[in-house]
Amino acid sequence: MSTILPEPHAYRPGKLARLKEGLRYQGGIGQWSWLLHRVTGVGILIFLIIHVLDTFFVVFNPALYDHTVAIYGGVFDGQYFWPLRWAFRLAELGLMATVLYHAINGVRVILFDFWSEGCKYQKESFLAVMIVFLALMVPAAVVVIMPLASSPDHMVKVPANTPNP
Amino acid sequence: MSEELTDPTKGYLSTRILTVQLKRYDPEKDREPHWQEFKVEARPIDRVLDVLMKVKWDQDDTIGLRKSCGQGICGSDAMRINGQNNLACKMLVQNLKSDKLTVEPILGLPVIKDLIVDMKPFFDHYKSIMPFLVNTDPAPTTERLQTPAQRERFDEGTKCILCACCTTACPPFWGNREYVGPAAIVNAHRFIFDSRDQAASERLEILNDAEGVWRCRTVFNCTSACPRGIKVTQLISEVKRALITGVLDMPQEAEVLA
Amino acid sequence: MARNRIKPQGGFELTAWYFMRISGLALVFLAVGHLFIMHIANNVENINYAFVAGRWANPRTGWIWRLWDMSMIALAMFHGFNGLRQILDEHVHGAKARVAMHTTLWAVMTTLLVLGTYAIWMFQVDKAYVEQFKAMNPGAGSHASVK
Repeated sequence: MSTILPEPHAYRPGKLARLKEGLRYQGGIGQWSWLLHRVTGVGILIFLIIHVLDTFFVVFNPALYDHTVAIYGGVFDGQYFWPLRWAFRLAELGLMATVLYHAINGVRVILFDFWSEGCKYQKESFLAVMIVFLALMVPAAVVVIMPLASSPDHMVKVPANTPNP
Repeated sequence: MSEELTDPTKGYLSTRILTVQLKRYDPEKDREPHWQEFKVEARPIDRVLDVLMKVKWDQDDTIGLRKSCGQGICGSDAMRINGQNNLACKMLVQNLKSDKLTVEPILGLPVIKDLIVDMKPFFDHYKSIMPFLVNTDPAPTTERLQTPAQRERFDEGTKCILCACCTTACPPFWGNREYVGPAAIVNAHRFIFDSRDQAASERLEILNDAEGVWRCRTVFNCTSACPRGIKVTQLISEVKRALITGVLDMPQEAEVLA
Repeated sequence: MARNRIKPQGGFELTAWYFMRISGLALVFLAVGHLFIMHIANNVENINYAFVAGRWANPRTGWIWRLWDMSMIALAMFHGFNGLRQILDEHVHGAKARVAMHTTLWAVMTTLLVLGTYAIWMFQVDKAYVEQFKAMNPGAGSHASVK
């Protein structure tokens, strides 16, 4: 009598497992700058979709547009909420950092592609990216955060009804 | 004799206890791989391969791994060592930063057993780029001559030993097995930029594809993983530039040879 | 020698790859410039309908801002959605799933691009609303001047 053994199968991790295993890879600067580039890219795209939709309010409902952008100043439904203002300020700073990183690192990637010496300076160029990023981001952060030191100079009031143009 | 050679606590005679984390997978029993820990006494001049063989000989003989020459030439013992792809025979214990050693199979290819992966998809990609010299001219009575500069042009790609360290370090390849992968592009580059070869257009046509060079995201994991020190990303960029410009950046044939 | 010239290559992936670089360079100026104007040169809390009207409907410089915003949204949309397509192509492999994914992406992109284009070129100032807004917010709108 013979026993029939189950046929041995090869193991291939699923999509999630491969992602997890991939994140454990010690690829160094190249891998992390690429991952950050990808994550910031998706983040900017999500923001862009929201931004296109909210800007579309200007053509069909100015009051709705003003009501929406007033949230930036912490004013929602005619009332002022300081945590809202802080949250939007910090998110604004995050957006600027995201776009700046994607832009500067994007230039770095273009240098790899179109400058024949570019690939030789892979790690050094990331240092340059970080220096330029910080040089632009620190003053920007000061400008963006400064208004939080004082309360808003006025409360935005949005007209309730939109007169027809 | 110097102290280093006689004192058992110093130099090449000294030993340290390594904690080896090994990723095990038995296709007949396991559904998923799991980690197993071993303690191994190792000398500074031991290779990681020696450490693994010590485990296999003294502690658990069921461990499966490929090895052949043990000198970084055959390319059969590629594995992920301490998080980065390398050949087990190219890494010395004295170069380990800590006493911890993590060894697992390379990612992206199906695992057959423990550290052995199925290399077929990898070699299929390699074959797809026509890795052989194509020259339809009548064979000369002597060699097909090249200037030293022309030979130098594709020298980088000739170092490849097809160990798959680069391809299985590539995040786009982890996601998508259809991607031709860095190793195949390096070997295409070796023939595309060879002045004796006449099939550059065909190879570029094959690589000019969503699953060809354009899948490369310049992550540089391939370059840092290559045990032969090939500047893989640089070579891929050169292939991309040839596709974009339609010009092969090669040294001109010297008149002396004509 | 002529051997160095090869058959010129083309194709969608090559064009898409090239486009990502060119549009990326343009967006470095357009998008970072836009951020600078909106968040550094101006306080974002002062941006409102009157501010937008003052830019787009300005008789002298309005067309420059509209052209700027138009090129920015068009390049950013193609750049962003093509980038997302490239990411998803790495993870979506089935032929049918890919067709579905590409169709969805391009459809969403086209919709957004049409919305944006409509807003930029069809914008007309609602003067009555601006007057009403200014009357209600006498302290605000120092940046917004509607002509």
